[in-house]
Amino acid sequence: MKRALLSLLLAATAFAQVRNEDIVKGPGADWLTYAGTYSGWRYSPLNQITAANAKNVVPKWVYHVPGARGLRSSPIVYQGVLYITNTNSVYAIDARSGRMVWQYADPRAKEGGVNRGAAIWADKIYFTTSDNYLVALDRFTGSLIFNRKFADVEKGTTSTSAPVIAKGKVIVGSAGGDGGMRGFIMALSADNGDELWKTYTVPAKGEKGSETWGDLIEWGGGAAWLSGTYDAELNTLYWTTGNPWPDYNGSVRQGDNLYTCALLALDLDTGKMKWHFQFTPHDTHDWDAQSWPVLIDTQIMGKPRKVVLHANRNGFFYALDRVTGEFLRATQLIDKLTWAKGIDDKGRPIMLPNSEPTPTGNWVCPSVKGATNWMGQSYNPGTGLLYVLTLEQCGMYFRSSQNPEPMKHFSGGGATEEGGQVVLRALDPKTGKRVWEYPMTGAGRMWTGTVSTAGGVIFSGDDDGHFVALDAKNGKNLWHFNVGEGLTASPVVYSVDGKQYVAIASASAVFSFGLFEPAVPFEPPVIQMKK
Amino acid sequence: MRALALALLAFPLLAQHGRYLSDSNNPAIGDPKAIAAGTKLFMGSCAGCHGPDGGGGARGPNLVRRSLWHPLSDDAIFQVIRKGVPGTDMPPTKLEDDQTWNLVAFIHSLTGPASTNPVPGNAAAGKEVFWGAKAGCANCHSILGKGGSLAPDLSNVGGSRPLAVIRESILEPAKDLSYLGNEAAVVELKNGKTITGVAKNRSNYSLQIVDAKGRLHLLQMAEVKKLTISETTSMPTDFAKRLTRDELRDLLAYLAAQDIRLETAKGSK
Repeated sequence: MKRALLSLLLAATAFAQVRNEDIVKGPGADWLTYAGTYSGWRYSPLNQITAANAKNVVPKWVYHVPGARGLRSSPIVYQGVLYITNTNSVYAIDARSGRMVWQYADPRAKEGGVNRGAAIWADKIYFTTSDNYLVALDRFTGSLIFNRKFADVEKGTTSTSAPVIAKGKVIVGSAGGDGGMRGFIMALSADNGDELWKTYTVPAKGEKGSETWGDLIEWGGGAAWLSGTYDAELNTLYWTTGNPWPDYNGSVRQGDNLYTCALLALDLDTGKMKWHFQFTPHDTHDWDAQSWPVLIDTQIMGKPRKVVLHANRNGFFYALDRVTGEFLRATQLIDKLTWAKGIDDKGRPIMLPNSEPTPTGNWVCPSVKGATNWMGQSYNPGTGLLYVLTLEQCGMYFRSSQNPEPMKHFSGGGATEEGGQVVLRALDPKTGKRVWEYPMTGAGRMWTGTVSTAGGVIFSGDDDGHFVALDAKNGKNLWHFNVGEGLTASPVVYSVDGKQYVAIASASAVFSFGLFEPAVPFEPPVIQMKK
Repeated sequence: MRALALALLAFPLLAQHGRYLSDSNNPAIGDPKAIAAGTKLFMGSCAGCHGPDGGGGARGPNLVRRSLWHPLSDDAIFQVIRKGVPGTDMPPTKLEDDQTWNLVAFIHSLTGPASTNPVPGNAAAGKEVFWGAKAGCANCHSILGKGGSLAPDLSNVGGSRPLAVIRESILEPAKDLSYLGNEAAVVELKNGKTITGVAKNRSNYSLQIVDAKGRLHLLQMAEVKKLTISETTSMPTDFAKRLTRDELRDLLAYLAAQDIRLETAKGSK
């Protein structure tokens, strides 16, 4: 009866359009924005797969994305169609059978590079090409609606992040910060790609904040290469920024280098900066702030607060008041941390000596990949825990005395990464402390995101190519499946016909999993070929 | 129902290796004088094997069709002309650089995207033809979100297909086409409903079909009672008669100008 009702409901809503309130509501059968919810939770209320039955999960289908070698894309799912991107291309896949419905490719795009996913609004699918075109496609047929350039690849900017769409504004960012460029976040019209606003992440000469730079400010970096989160009630976007340029040579850019390695709170309507918080002032370790600003309301230090949580590449786990930007607390995210002895009560790191890159090198933890990175984190309101993939790794950091030249792949030095172990950690947002951890075997690569569900299950990827299900309460392994290659993307959860699926891109394919069901024989249709 | 059309245009992208033919900045590419000079060279030295229109002959492959599944960059064509293809009848040449580029420009005019070559005709007049009732192209095809959804989107047809291929797809749509992915289909479901449209994909187990309103239906074969598939194109085959020579020329000029990579102020043409 329940199923009959559900299919009736599905039939009634067939061919609906994706509206703002659908995304605000969060995922159910569909997965409508990069992190599932605007608040960055990567949490699904679906509960068909539970900690008790996850042992019965099996692969349902695999779709090999033509030419893909290292997919980073997190799918969008709407009304039974899964949309996945590769570099300069999008594929629409029947989410029940894994069969391709349409594909769109722009082989003439000027750059390569990765792509992290698509977005959906009304009846359109959106993605960006690596050379900064916003592309809008008909969600049923893949036909092009518009193709609008929003930035110049000639100025060192490329595009890799999945757009986030709120109130008809398509928010896009900028990549390329390791070669010298000026980072920005932009809002484009979902109707026609018109520019609505553009906020630079590095001030222009003479503007407030420019006193924290030297002469290289015009190429200062601060790329915004990962999507951010959005609080509909506060009408505020939370977007992170990348490293200052040149990455490893801080001597040519004395000062804090605002607003790099920071979290920016922007007004959705105007792009105006409401506040900023810089995690790593004057960064010299390429510790971009690109990881998830997770928005939750919780008790912190005895008071109910609207909080933004942020596990940073620099090794600390932060809690800020997301209304005011006030620093509330920082705790250590990883064990191997040598560059700072803590974070002071204003939120600034308390530096330790011998941590800067030098011509002969300094051994520093965490490594250049950071204590965590851009992969999806998951907040589960059932357990009240945040699940973050972390990396215990150190490396040597070198500084080059060469004159910095923008757009020449010159980053002012270099870094090594040595050994290392990936550990999935469950953190309590109230205290910042670890509740449990799940160490992984592997080469210290660390790129798989997590998703968690109301069924009490976390899905993520091992560091050695296993897709895994863990018990959200205690981190106990429930199930694993070897995909046979690296996992460098984040999983999503959806349902079709009342059946729950979990999908993830591996290096070259999309896998979708669900609970085992025996095949049901059926009478095949009469197929007639007509001349 | 006039379901599919220009199915040929939809498919070769699948096998496309790398970029299309617009890599070179050599001034000869797209220059009418260079193309005219290249035409003379081609007719004298290449047409014997490759045919006067690059359509192939007993000893040389069809250059136009080859470009659909494995386009070569202008620089690669330059090198092939220079060095030949060892182990085949294609010999090396001793042409000067500028002569070789003239030849590349002519081959590009046959095999490169229509938008990168000089095309005769009036695109503005061709726009009227495309959107008008006489040709009826927009009943099935779309450009930048307007038009029908049963046939391939033509928003980038000039930026992705040689003029010769576009012309052939209009005049001889039933020739040598693969319809898989664009099959005209009628589906009778076990629940009594009927869906008419284009099968984007089908197997013995599932069917993905777009109807005349442009809506997608995802079906399991277990739900299907009868499936009727057209073995030929639903695109009209009478355009040579239906359109005047001028109308056809102008229509080609309009389609050749559909290129999503041409910088436009408003993103629409």
